[in-house]
Amino acid sequence: MMNRNTPPTLQKINEIQFVNPTIFPLNDVVNLYWMKEVLDETTRIEFHFNAGSIRSKEKVAGLVNQLLFSGTSQKSSIQINEELDSLGAFLDYEVGQEIAIVSLYCLRENAGKVIDIVYDAITNVSFHEEEVKDLIREKKHQFLVASEKVNVLARRAFQKHLFANSPAYSNQIKLEDYDTMKISDFKKFHSEYYLKGLVKVLVVGNVSSVTIDHLKALSKNWLSSETLSFLTSFENEKGHFHVEKEDSVQTAIRIGRPLFNKLHSDFIDFQITQTILGDYFGSRLMSNIREDKGYTYGIGSGVSESNATGYFIIATEVGKEFVDLTLKEIQKELKKLQEELVDESELELVKNYLLGQLLKSADGPNAMMDLFMGVQLHKLTFDYYNKVIQRVHAISSEDIRLIAQKYFNWEDLTIVTAGSSNA
Amino acid sequence: MIKFERFVLENGLKVLFHKDETTPLAVVNTLYDVGARDEDENRTGFAHLFEHLMFGGSVNIPDFDAPLQKAGGESNAYTSNDVTNYYDIIPAVNIETALWLESDRMLSLAFTEKSLETQRSVVMEEFKQRYLNQPYGDVWLELRPLAYEVHPYKWATIGKELKHIEEATMSEVKSFFKKHYNPSNAILCIAGNFELEYIKSLVEKWFKDIPSGIKPPRILPKEENQTVYKEKTIERKVPSDAFYYAFKMPERKSLDYYIVDVLSDALGRDKSSRLYISLQKEQKLVSEVHAYITGSLDNGLLIIEGKLSEGVDFGQLDKALWEVLHSISNNELSIKELNRLKNKIRTAKEFQEQGLLNRTMNLAYFELLGDANGINEEALLYEAIEPSHIQTVANEILVPTNCSLLKVKAI
Repeated sequence: MMNRNTPPTLQKINEIQFVNPTIFPLNDVVNLYWMKEVLDETTRIEFHFNAGSIRSKEKVAGLVNQLLFSGTSQKSSIQINEELDSLGAFLDYEVGQEIAIVSLYCLRENAGKVIDIVYDAITNVSFHEEEVKDLIREKKHQFLVASEKVNVLARRAFQKHLFANSPAYSNQIKLEDYDTMKISDFKKFHSEYYLKGLVKVLVVGNVSSVTIDHLKALSKNWLSSETLSFLTSFENEKGHFHVEKEDSVQTAIRIGRPLFNKLHSDFIDFQITQTILGDYFGSRLMSNIREDKGYTYGIGSGVSESNATGYFIIATEVGKEFVDLTLKEIQKELKKLQEELVDESELELVKNYLLGQLLKSADGPNAMMDLFMGVQLHKLTFDYYNKVIQRVHAISSEDIRLIAQKYFNWEDLTIVTAGSSNA
Repeated sequence: MIKFERFVLENGLKVLFHKDETTPLAVVNTLYDVGARDEDENRTGFAHLFEHLMFGGSVNIPDFDAPLQKAGGESNAYTSNDVTNYYDIIPAVNIETALWLESDRMLSLAFTEKSLETQRSVVMEEFKQRYLNQPYGDVWLELRPLAYEVHPYKWATIGKELKHIEEATMSEVKSFFKKHYNPSNAILCIAGNFELEYIKSLVEKWFKDIPSGIKPPRILPKEENQTVYKEKTIERKVPSDAFYYAFKMPERKSLDYYIVDVLSDALGRDKSSRLYISLQKEQKLVSEVHAYITGSLDNGLLIIEGKLSEGVDFGQLDKALWEVLHSISNNELSIKELNRLKNKIRTAKEFQEQGLLNRTMNLAYFELLGDANGINEEALLYEAIEPSHIQTVANEILVPTNCSLLKVKAI
C-alpha cells in the first residue's frame, strides 16, 4: 500500500554555479558584457542609454525611444523594418526613469547584419515629420486606452505621491503634452542622450569574436563619458490618495514607501521579510486576501531598485466592494509581522522557496546575464549571491520582526486607490 | 532536435521524458485532455474553475503549494478551450516531491467546501479584472458566439457569464473530476538532468496505482461550414472604434493550419506586414492593426483586429481592408517575402525552445496531437510552404461568406 501521507525527503540547495560574462571596457565608464556560453543559435543584444525619463523636462524620452527606427535620410521606417524582419530579427525598446534600452533578438548567423542596420538607424535617424505625426497619433490613442484602466491610474498616482519631492521622478506625461512637443526637442534629446549616451552593451550568444569586435567598434561612437547622477533618496507623501474612475467594477490598490537597494545593509533581510509578506503564492497577503477571503485574483509585494535607491510596493486589484476590507487586512498583516514571530515551519518553507527561486534565476545564459547585471549595477559581483545564500540560511524570526518594525509602519506609507467609490 | 523518450503505464498514463544536462532544474508537466469545449452550455467556466480547485488540496495532501515551495519549487496552470495544463518547476534534486504531489491530485482531490467557495470568488474577480474592467475587455465574450453557431468554442474559457460560476455545486465538481481527471486522459512530461531508468522508477512508484478511468469520448456539435457573412455592432465606453474580423480556418492537425499561420503573419504580424503598411502607415486609417490565429484544436479563427483613427468610419476601413485581402488572394507572395516570414518563425522557435518549461509543455501538447515528435517536424512543415499554397488558402478563407465581423462603436 502506497504511503502518500509522507512527503519525499528533501535536499537542500547550498550552492549555485555562476558563470561570469566576459567584460570588455569601451572607455573608463562603459563596458560591453558578453555571455558566450550559449548552446543554441539565439543571440540577444542590448544597448543601454542614459535616456530615461528623468533626463527630459520636455517629456520626450518615451517618444524619442519609439522614433529610433523611424527612418534616416536614406531609408524609410518601412525599409528598416523590412530589412530587420527579413533577417528574422525582433526589436524591443523601452524607457524607464533612469535608463532606455534597445534590445535585438536574432539568430547568430544574422547578428552582424542586424547590428549594422540598427547602428545606422539609431545614428542617422532624421525624425521625419510624417513619422513623428504618426507616432504621436498612436501614442495619444494608447494614452486614452491606458487611462481607462484602474491599474494604470493607480500606478500614475502612486508615482506622483511616492516621488513627491523629486519632480524629475514624479513628473508624468499628460495628453496635452503630445500636442506641444517639437521636433527640435527630439533631435536635441537624441543627440545628447543617445549619440553620447551609451552606458552599457550586453550580448548573450555564441557569436564570433569578429562580431564582438565589430560591435565594440560601432559602440565606441555612442559612448557616454560622464559619471551620471541619480536620485539617492526621496520623501513620499504619506496617507491615502484616491483617483476616481467611473463605472469600474474593480479598484486598484498601490501601497508603498521609499526604500533602498542592494548596497544597504538591510536589503537582504528586507527581501526575505517582504517575501513572507507578499512575494510568493503562499504569502501572508495571498493566503489572506485571495485564498481565504477571495477579494482578488492576485495580490503581491516587491522591491524596485534603481541606481542609487529603491522603493517597496504592494499591488492588487480587488472587487470595488472589498476596498476598505482589503486595506484593513493589509494593515493587519503588516502589523502581525511587527508583533508576532514567524514560526519555524513557515520560515523554513520561505527559505527553501527563495533558494529555489535563486536557482531558477541563474538557469541558462540569459537568466545568468540578467542576474549578473543585477549586481553589476551596484558594482558588485556574483559573490553577493553567496552572501544571500548564507543569510537566507542564517536569518531568524527575530531578525524578520525587527525589519517589519523598522519598515512596515502604516503611517510611513503612500496608499493609492483608483476606482469607483460609489457603492 | 528535442530528444525525448516515451513510455506508457498499465493504467494508460502516457509519459514523456526529455533529458537536459545543462540545467539544475526540473519540470513536471501534466496535460489533461479537457478544456472549455467539453463543458455543458449551461455550466460554462467549469474547466477553468476546476483548474483553480486542483490547487486546493488532494486526498492525502491537504496543501498543494506548501510542500512544493518547501522543496524550492513553484507551480502554475492554464486552461484553454481545448486543454488544462499544469506545471511544476523545481530543483532537480527534489523532483520526487513534484511527482508525489501531481500523482495525489490525479488520484483524487480533497473537495472541501471552503476551497470551492473561495475559488468561486477568486474566479469572479478574475472575470472582472480581465474581461469586465478593461477597455475592449469583453470583446471575446461577444465575438465567439458571433463566429460559432453551435460549436462549444462559442463561449470563452472564463465562462459565458458570472452566474454559471456562482451556481457551480460540489457534486458537479466531483463528477467533472471523475470524468476527466484520470490517467487515461492525461499526458505527463518530465524534463531535467536525469537518467530514464530513474524517472521510470519514480513514475511507476507514484502513478502506478491510480485507477485508469475511462477516456471520455468527445462528441461535440459540429460547426457547419459558414456560408453567410455575419456582422454585429456593440457600443462600449472606449476611446476609439474597433474592429474584429474573424475568418474560419482549418483544425490544428491539418497541414493547411501552418499555411494559414504564415498567411496571418503576412497580413499582420509586425511592421513589415501588409495590413500595417497599407492601413496604418500609408492610409493612416488605423492607430493599430494585428492579425493572428487562435490556434485551437478544432476549426479555429484567423483574426484581423484593430482600432480606427479619429474621423475614420467603418465603411472606409472595410473597403481598404478587403483591398489588402484581395491583393494577397490574387497575387502570389514573392520568395523574398515568404523567406522573411519563415525567418521570423525560425528565430522565434529558437528562442522559445531555449526555455525548459516551454520544451516540456510543447512535448506534451504535440503528444496530444498524436506524436510528441511533431515538435521537431513542424520546422520542416513551415519550410515546405510555397507561395502558391498561401494563395490557394487565402482564396478559400478570406471571403465574406467565411467572415464574422464584430464592430465596437465608441460612445
